[in-house]
Parts: sequence; C-alpha cells; structure tokens
Amino acid sequence: MENLEKNNLVQLEAHNLCVSFNDRPVLKNISFQIKAGEVFALLGGNGAGKSTTLKTFLGLIDATSGNVNVMGQSVSDNPNIIRQKVAYLPESVMLYEHLSAIENIQYFLSVAGVECDETAIKNALDKVSLQSKSWQQKLSFYSKGMRQKTAIALALLRNTPVLLLDEPTSGLDPVAIDELNELIRELAKSGTSILMVTHDVYGACHVANRIGLLRDGNIVGVFESDNGASINTEDVHAAFAQGVVK
Amino acid sequence: MINQLLKIASEEWRYWFRTKLAISVLFLMVCMTTAAVVITAFNVALQTEQREALQRASEKAFIEQPDRHPHRMIHYGHYLFRTPPPLSAIDPGVDSYTGTSIFLEGHRQNGSTFSGQQQSTGLSWLGAFSPANVLQVFAPLLLIIVGYSVVSREKEAGTFTFLKVQGVNPLMLILGKGCAILSAAGLVMLPLIAGSLFALSKGESGIVTFTFVISYVIYLCCWSAVVLFASVVSKSNRGSFILLICLWVATTVLLPRIASNSATVLVNSPGKIETDFSVLQKLREQGDGHNANDPAFSQLKANLLAKYNVDKVEDLPINYKGIVAQSSEKNLSKILNDYAIESMTQQVEQAQVARSFGWLSPSIAIKSVSMQLAGTDLENYHRFLVEAENVRYKFVQSLNELHAHEVSYNDDNNKYKNEDTREKAKVSSDNWKVLDNFNFSIAPSEERLTEVKTAIMQLVFVFFIFIALTVFSGRRL
Repeated sequence: MENLEKNNLVQLEAHNLCVSFNDRPVLKNISFQIKAGEVFALLGGNGAGKSTTLKTFLGLIDATSGNVNVMGQSVSDNPNIIRQKVAYLPESVMLYEHLSAIENIQYFLSVAGVECDETAIKNALDKVSLQSKSWQQKLSFYSKGMRQKTAIALALLRNTPVLLLDEPTSGLDPVAIDELNELIRELAKSGTSILMVTHDVYGACHVANRIGLLRDGNIVGVFESDNGASINTEDVHAAFAQGVVK
Repeated sequence: MINQLLKIASEEWRYWFRTKLAISVLFLMVCMTTAAVVITAFNVALQTEQREALQRASEKAFIEQPDRHPHRMIHYGHYLFRTPPPLSAIDPGVDSYTGTSIFLEGHRQNGSTFSGQQQSTGLSWLGAFSPANVLQVFAPLLLIIVGYSVVSREKEAGTFTFLKVQGVNPLMLILGKGCAILSAAGLVMLPLIAGSLFALSKGESGIVTFTFVISYVIYLCCWSAVVLFASVVSKSNRGSFILLICLWVATTVLLPRIASNSATVLVNSPGKIETDFSVLQKLREQGDGHNANDPAFSQLKANLLAKYNVDKVEDLPINYKGIVAQSSEKNLSKILNDYAIESMTQQVEQAQVARSFGWLSPSIAIKSVSMQLAGTDLENYHRFLVEAENVRYKFVQSLNELHAHEVSYNDDNNKYKNEDTREKAKVSSDNWKVLDNFNFSIAPSEERLTEVKTAIMQLVFVFFIFIALTVFSGRRL
C-alpha cells in the first residue's frame, strides 16, 4: 500500500511550460508529470527543445511562463535546493581533465556535501563497467565513453530521488548501452524518477514507461507501455519520422 | 561550509601543482621575495654599520682637529649620516634617491648626497629589487598568473555548470577559489613577515611592524579580490587575463605616473634655478659675513658701539668679526630655512595629491603606507634635513661664539702677518667638542600610525569594492 502511494507521487512536473530565447519560442506550453519510479523519455530531433526542458528542471534556464516543479517545489524558488535532489548526466561530460575518475567523483561529491568512501566509488565505477586499470588515470586520457561512464557513476552515487539524463547513451559502445539501460531500469524500480531526453528511439522504447515526442517545442504525442512491456519501437519510429502521432 | 570551502581551495592547489605553470610561478615569486628580503636586510645592516662607523669617524676627525681659528673649523665642516630605520630592510623608500649623508658647513645648507641612485648604473631605472618593490609590483602579477582562470576556466570547461547542478552554491565555489588565491598570497607574505620580525628585533615598534604586515595583507587581499572578480565576470580565460593585465598596467604603472604629474600640475613649485637665483639675491642683501665692513652690518656695528659705549670696534670687549659672523649666519639661516620650509611644504602638498590617487590604485596606497611606516618617506627625509640643519646651525654658531669671545679683534685682524699672530688667532682644540652625538631617528610610531590611516582606508575601500562587485557578479552566475 505504502509502495503504491509512493509510486503515485509526482516527482517532476512541467505545467504549461514556455521558454523563449530573445522572443524566439523554444518550448511552447508543454505539460507532463513523472511519478516516482517512472522513466519518461522525451524524444525529438535536433533543436526540438529537449535539452532546454532538462535545463529548466535544473534551474539553468528560467521559464518564460508556466511552472516547473521537482518533488512539489518550484525550481525557480530555490534552484540550489532542487539541485541537491536531482542528479544530472549531461550530453557532454564536464569533468576535470587533471583528475582521475576517482578523484573527480570524490571532489564533486564532497563539494556537493555527499559523504562517500572510496570503496563505494569503486563499486559504482565497477557497476558502470569502467575498467579498473583506468580508475587512477587522468581524465585527459579518457575516451568520450569512459567519461560518460564516470559521470554516470557520479550520478548513481548522488543517490537522488530524481535523475535527469541528457543523451545518456551518447558515446557508449553497444554493450555499455545495454548495461546503462539495465541500470536505468534498476534505478526506476528502486523509486527514482527519471527524465531522459534522447533521439535514440530504440533506447527510449527499451527503458521508458512513457515517451513524449517533442517537435518544435511542443509535445506532439505520448506513447505508454502496457503492463511493463516495452513500447513498440516501430510505432514510435514511424511517428518520429513522420511527425504525426495517431 | 568551511569543509566545502577548504575542499574547493585545496582542489585549486592540486590543479596548480598538476599544471606546473602556476606552481612554478608561485615558487619563483617566493624565491624572489625571499631573496629580496635577505639581500635588502643584509644591505641595510651593512649600511647601518657603515654609516654609524662613518658618523663616529667624522665626529672623531672633527674633534681631533688641531688648534685653529674657529672660522676655519666652520669651513672644515662636518658630515651627518642617516642610519636606515629597521623597516627600511623591506622598504628603502626614498632613501635610494635622496642621499644618505649631508655635509654641514657655515653659510650653506647643503643637500644630502651619496644616494644609491647616484652610485648605481644606468639600469637602476628598472626598479630597485627591494621586498617592497617585489610585493607591490610583482606580487599582483603573480596573483594574476596564478588566479586569472580560477573561475573562468571552470566556466569555459563547463565544470562550473556541472558543479552548480550538483547543488553547489556558485558563491561558495567563488569563495573557495578566493581562499585558494588568498593562500597563494599568504605564501608570498611569509618572507615579508620574516623580514618584519627582523626589523622588530632591530628595534622597530611592535604596533608599527604589525600594521606594516597587515597593510601588505590587505593589499594582497585587494589584488586577490580583483583577480577573483575578473575571473568571475569574464566568459573566457583570455578575457580574464586581458582584463587583469589592463588593470595591473593602469593601477601599477600608469596611475602612479598620472598621480605624480597631476601633483606637479596642481601644486606649482618653482624650479631649482629660479629658486637659487631668488635665494642668492636675498643673501646678497644680507651682506657678506666674512667682511665686517660690509655696509649691511652698519646698524649692527652702531648698536654694539652704543651698547658698550665705545667709539670704535677695536675697543669692544668682544670680537666684532665674530659678532658679524654670528649675525650673518642667523640672518642667512633664516632665509635658507624659509625657502627650505616653503619647498618642503610644496613637496608634501604634491605628495598628498599623489597619495589621494590611492582611492583608485591600491599600489599607490600601499606605497604610501609602506614608506610612511618604514620611515623612509618624504616627510622623514625632511625630518632628517631639519635635524641636520639644527645641528649645523648650533655647531656653526657655537664656533662663531668662540670667534666672538675667544679671539680678540686685533689678533683676528693680524692673523696673517706672521706665525706668531697666526697662533694667537687660534683657539684650543678642546673647544671642538661642540658636536652632540647625532643619531637620526624617524618620526615616533604614534605619528607614523596616524599618517597611514587614510592610505589604509584606501586599501580597505578598494578591497570591499571588489568583494562587492564579485558577490554581485557571482549571484548572477
């Protein structure tokens, strides 16, 4: 019963969200809700407004109108408090080149006020399949995928109720993509609300409970999985390609 | 919160260590400051010893002169040496330009001579390698090189945003970066603190030494705030570096020049030739003290004859020539003193105009504080000149007194006739002990502390302005 109530809690909510840059509308009155334990994927092409949506949830971009709430609190009221409840994985991983993966994670966690020992960090790095021989290497020697894995490990260690993912599979090899998808599903099962923006139709269908199709700043359609089954990739792909949702 | 600040600051240090450039510059700077402190401290200790020895030698040479006519001793003259104050080991101030000794003789007020600049090579315009110079000019450059990218680097690389989305308050991050810059500045301060303790051991006042160190701390805090501000407001490392270099050139190179030029324009002072001619003209009107028959002294002569109720100077119970010399010296000294005071007043007014630019430039403010507290500023140089003039006047008039009372008018008039008359016109060398032990001391500590209040306020003002600007800009990030 308690679990059911928990899963009905709305953790992320965009209500009539509009964002404009220099009078050019980027998001046009979009609304959606994400409950605890739910994975919502926003699918769209380049310039559809996917990353802008994520950034409004992080308080990095102000809404022109409408509301953005995280765990019932408005992001615009106190973005710093909200950010402590949200883990974010950017498309381009921004970590320190002069530090190793372990040092990066230690530093980011310590300044964010998160207590974490080295063993937990190593476990997380192991979980994201970053080879142990590279843990002590400086990030300047890392490939894009390795950096991505480091950032995923950091996001996991933050242990937040909300996870925002911006093109999370970008730069990952197919095996790593599968592992990441598995991780996302595990996190969702444990109650984490996940908003993922991507243009990877297959990945989105594989992990998301719902997919919102974003086109020119509008959510033009939503696909939902039935009873835990994956969303039909072909339907989504067709809608994505044609821009039409039945 | 403190823990987070320390984490951010220590991470910056790790970056400096790993990138090597910053740490190399920092190491170089600490070496430079240490070398400057050690070299200057040794130099000052040596100069102190030399000047004290020369002072003793000069006094001994004067006292050991044989029996002579007193007026010959007036022209034999005497040297006074300015021993450097303890804190001049850090800031030699105007000493290297103004000279360290002065030759005292009758009828003249000589300027001080043997300045470091006069004895140096033509390259000395590059600047003295004193700890004060290193800290005032080069330490800000170090802080710029070390810290220009503390925040802009994070913005450029995107780590600033990534830290922000981890829930890190941007102001906390900026404050942590500020702590890192301050700790680098603190490292540069260590040799100065050691030098100041050395000055304290040499007799400098504790409160002055403390204020001296604190002033440099505030100065480096000012530059740390400037560096942090530039890094916060700049979108790129390049922008931050260019902004800081422009600020450094403006406040450390251009504004001091503008300040001194403005001072000479706003407070007009006559040139040396103009002054010399004017002084010469006035002195001529006073008569020649060597010539007792100069019409300028006819009134003096009449007064004396009347006072002693005699008809001619030969009948006076005192040596008329000596009285003329005394009177002449008195009048001449008054004229020279009037000109000197006028000139000193103008110089101080000019210095005050230049110092007022400290509201715009921390470099000007710290220069004022540093020299004033060290006792190597213009006012203390004037103090030396005034003390030297007092010694000169006293010793010349003491000898004129001997001339008037110990040598008879007749003997004085006949002194060149033969050896006997020459001997009669001499006085015993026992009389040469007219010199007091001269030991120049700079203004008392209370006076120096009062003088630096404005300049310290200027430093604090600049510091808070840049802190406010940094906080304001940081909130918008």
